[in-house]
Amino acid sequence: MSGEDDTNGWQLTESDPGVFSELLKTLGVPLIVDDLYSLDSESLASLQPLHALIFLFKWVSTSSDSMSGNYDPEFPGFFAHQVVNNACATIAVINALGNIPSLKSGPQLAQLMEFTNNMDPQTRGLVVTSSDWLREAHNSLSPPSAISLDGLELPRQTEDAYHFVVYLPSMGFVYELDGLKPHAVRHGSYNETGEGWLSRAREVIENRIATYPPGALDFSLLALRDDPLPLLQAELAKLQTAGKQAEAAELVVKLESETSKRNRWNFENSIRRHNHVGLVHALLVTLAKAGRLEPAKENAKSVMKERIARAKSKGGAMDES
Amino acid sequence: MAESGTLLAFKAGRAFRREGTNFVDPSPTKGAILLRKEDDLLHLVWKNRATDEVEEDLILFPSDATFSKVSQASGRVYVLKFSSSDQRHFFWMQDASSARDEEFVNNVNGFLIDPDHEASWGPSSQPEASTSTAGASSSSAPSGFQASPEQLAQLQQLLSSAVGGGASAPSELSLNDILTPANMTALFTSHPDLIPTLFPHLPPDLPMPPSSEVLQRIISSPQFRSAVSNFDQALRTGLLGGLVRQLGLPEEAGTGIEPFLRAVQRQADQERGEDGMDTD
Repeated sequence: MSGEDDTNGWQLTESDPGVFSELLKTLGVPLIVDDLYSLDSESLASLQPLHALIFLFKWVSTSSDSMSGNYDPEFPGFFAHQVVNNACATIAVINALGNIPSLKSGPQLAQLMEFTNNMDPQTRGLVVTSSDWLREAHNSLSPPSAISLDGLELPRQTEDAYHFVVYLPSMGFVYELDGLKPHAVRHGSYNETGEGWLSRAREVIENRIATYPPGALDFSLLALRDDPLPLLQAELAKLQTAGKQAEAAELVVKLESETSKRNRWNFENSIRRHNHVGLVHALLVTLAKAGRLEPAKENAKSVMKERIARAKSKGGAMDES
Repeated sequence: MAESGTLLAFKAGRAFRREGTNFVDPSPTKGAILLRKEDDLLHLVWKNRATDEVEEDLILFPSDATFSKVSQASGRVYVLKFSSSDQRHFFWMQDASSARDEEFVNNVNGFLIDPDHEASWGPSSQPEASTSTAGASSSSAPSGFQASPEQLAQLQQLLSSAVGGGASAPSELSLNDILTPANMTALFTSHPDLIPTLFPHLPPDLPMPPSSEVLQRIISSPQFRSAVSNFDQALRTGLLGGLVRQLGLPEEAGTGIEPFLRAVQRQADQERGEDGMDTD
């Protein structure tokens, strides 16, 4: 039951589009992951070309999902079991990537896909999870673990573990890939016209959400899509050389919005990877040099007293600090 | 972020099954069982009172484990049993008096069922089965008195007194309340000349050049706040003597939050004297 024993060296990561997109960059894949706030046609259309939807939710162990769709033990596509809990996000991404036809990727991922061809889900899961380079890529985006807290085995304060389920099209059907289920799950077929597989996926996901009492499910949706940046940049260059100022201006706005999002991701990833102990110490020394550490300490003590008093009057639960 | 803290602690040693038999042999090592809540997860920690080191840290999900008396053993032997696995951990009470055994065990089981259990102390405490796992249970009022956080801290102090000659002081403050965005803003405003001294400690791969705005952004970020909490927690174990040396501090600074902050002040005074800076 002790946390460290079954992690196999995989650290728990945040389930953030910036984290996923950085992983994709490391894998040499020209896709990104974006938050999806709605399943309506407009939102989905704006994210095209869209390859997979990732549904993530806090694992509610007391209620079991009623199954919709059917297990497909003969699923010819890529499906790996999740054999290490902390690897869940990366397993979901790999399961999605493994089913995208003609995917461009770095050599390591390509080799992994080839090597696991025709393996059963459990073996695939084991092989993927014992992939050192993949685990390092995965771990590179969580705070440096035992570096500064060596041997103390303090539980790290990270987000709760989410469970990840991938929905994508394969062979004319919408499939659900859940690393904790024995097989890929086949949902209905779809028409290539209009929204294509997305309308079927929307139906399946909305039905799933509806099975939970309102407010009981903590979930998010992510979209795995082509990286729009190179396309936007190329398009802009074309419009500018053609002298189409008005359209170029529109595109500049889109490009700026996308670029500022990527800058935010880069910033967040940079502070995620960083060991902040040096900064914590330096800030305290700076406070001390400015003669501000003592007053800050006194204030912190009274804040703590207040907090304890409030908690006692509430009956014992400690407030957030 | 979620709650964290020590819920209860008592003196206990470990016992181990003799290979191939049903005998459980107590290990004489003096220790303590601590129940801690970290990030909504309940931990049962066994600490070696001689070395002050945590040697066992078990995460317990609600209703997954029970702590019960081993009736076949003579003496005060208890077993932590899991419903989800075959794991068994044996312990024996080390307090000279057995008067409070039942009290502690009842509360342990209360927490094992529901991490939001309200501990009840007093001769007739019984485990309360809570119907809700979300938020604190507000079921029937506890009999006897409630152990306050200060009392728990004192108990922890008792249990951790040993090596190094210093019992770590009960923590009256949290580093997160010192390194607040408000305190940092005020600092940067009044002492802008000190800001560049912080730049070497920023992530080397920041996508923008260092500045006080970037510093503020980092300080307000969940990642940084989480790092401060981790460091705060680590300091409270009193075991950071090795790490703080790397920060140019004496080993004593790693024994707790107060010693750490005192050492930081001394370090700042020294550096300030060397820089020839004005005091204020």
